[in-house]
Amino acid sequence: MMDPAEVEFIAEKQMVEIVPNFNFDRVYLISGEIGPFRAGLPVKVPIWMAINLRQRQKCRILVPDWMDVEKLEQAKEDESASRYFTKMPSEHYMAEAQLILSACGEDVPRADEIRTALKDLWDMRMSKLRSSVDTFIKTGGTHARLDHLTLMEMNSVRPLLPHALDQLHRLSTVRFVFSPLVNSSSCFDMHISILYYCFWC
Amino acid sequence: MDVDLELEDSDNEETITAQSVLAKLEEAWMNEKFSPEILPHRTEIVDCMLEQIHQMEENLNKLKKSDFRVVIHRMELDRIRYIITSYLRSRLEKIELYTSHILEMESKRPVEERYLSPAEYKFAQEHQSHLENHFETVVLRHMPYNIRTLDKATMSVAPNLFSQVFLRANKTVNGVIVETGVEGAEEEVELDGNSQHIIQYKAIAELVKSGSVQLI
Repeated sequence: MMDPAEVEFIAEKQMVEIVPNFNFDRVYLISGEIGPFRAGLPVKVPIWMAINLRQRQKCRILVPDWMDVEKLEQAKEDESASRYFTKMPSEHYMAEAQLILSACGEDVPRADEIRTALKDLWDMRMSKLRSSVDTFIKTGGTHARLDHLTLMEMNSVRPLLPHALDQLHRLSTVRFVFSPLVNSSSCFDMHISILYYCFWC
Repeated sequence: MDVDLELEDSDNEETITAQSVLAKLEEAWMNEKFSPEILPHRTEIVDCMLEQIHQMEENLNKLKKSDFRVVIHRMELDRIRYIITSYLRSRLEKIELYTSHILEMESKRPVEERYLSPAEYKFAQEHQSHLENHFETVVLRHMPYNIRTLDKATMSVAPNLFSQVFLRANKTVNGVIVETGVEGAEEEVELDGNSQHIIQYKAIAELVKSGSVQLI
């Protein structure tokens, strides 16, 4: 199990460009060197640092290239044209956008349009994910390839999908190990839990 | 582990390797978080990172409070500390849940190949004996003689190795065998480098331990 806040925590490691309004030498973090900071010159820092500096009014965050209405509209078109998941511009596109826009939404032109486009993209991918999960379960698959699915998206079907598959696996082994007579009550229980899972799907 | 040795080489390398140790710690954290069974301990990474944190804190104490760097460094240390505690906690959770199963598995392994660190091993043993003592004082001694013994084999909880996990392949692995549950039926899966999958843990348990795949 993973908390969405932990997914965000991981996304905060992504680098973003900022324009500092101060001068400072290189900072030697455990996770790597940052800087040097020169007032007015863009520099790459992790998102967690960018947000902190922004809150202290020490920098302006430059929105990543892909966080652009036209590019996101294009991504939406590609997504709807493809049967599979398309590659997202960032592995943490949703969390990153959320973090950056909530830290400095007012600095970003057309922030609302970006938000809407991202939400559309997310919804589109989630419905694709739900229908593939449905097919996957119904065809009784044992494994699936999930390329280009982002961590946040995977997390949204956790623990539901893995647990549903665990239960199915349990059912399939039970059926062949025990006679149905002896085990009828526990089979019944499992059917109930599967119904329960389906309900939540 | 070689990570420790490299760190002492030179100051310049220290920053590079500290970074790679952190990356290793993050991998270990994610793997431990999502694997149903306890994985071989990575005490060397944790100790190395704690040492880095300690050094950094000493350096920070020398800086003026108003120094721009202090806040940034503290934030980073807090982030790393979170990863370490979350990592250790998820191991402890598993130890508490699967105590007797883990101890039984450990007793079959040579001391240097144990999955638990010496401290964790001590914790597991103490947890086990406290549990037994507790059962003894609360219930068992009030029982008739013939049902006073605990049968560890029936009591122990074992992790479900058939549970499904998400993973990313770090390199191409061919011929991963998945049991489909239907009497001995098996299926072969190819994991291409950098591809993502949902798959039964049992089939890829060894690949997680060797670092060929990363749980996500």
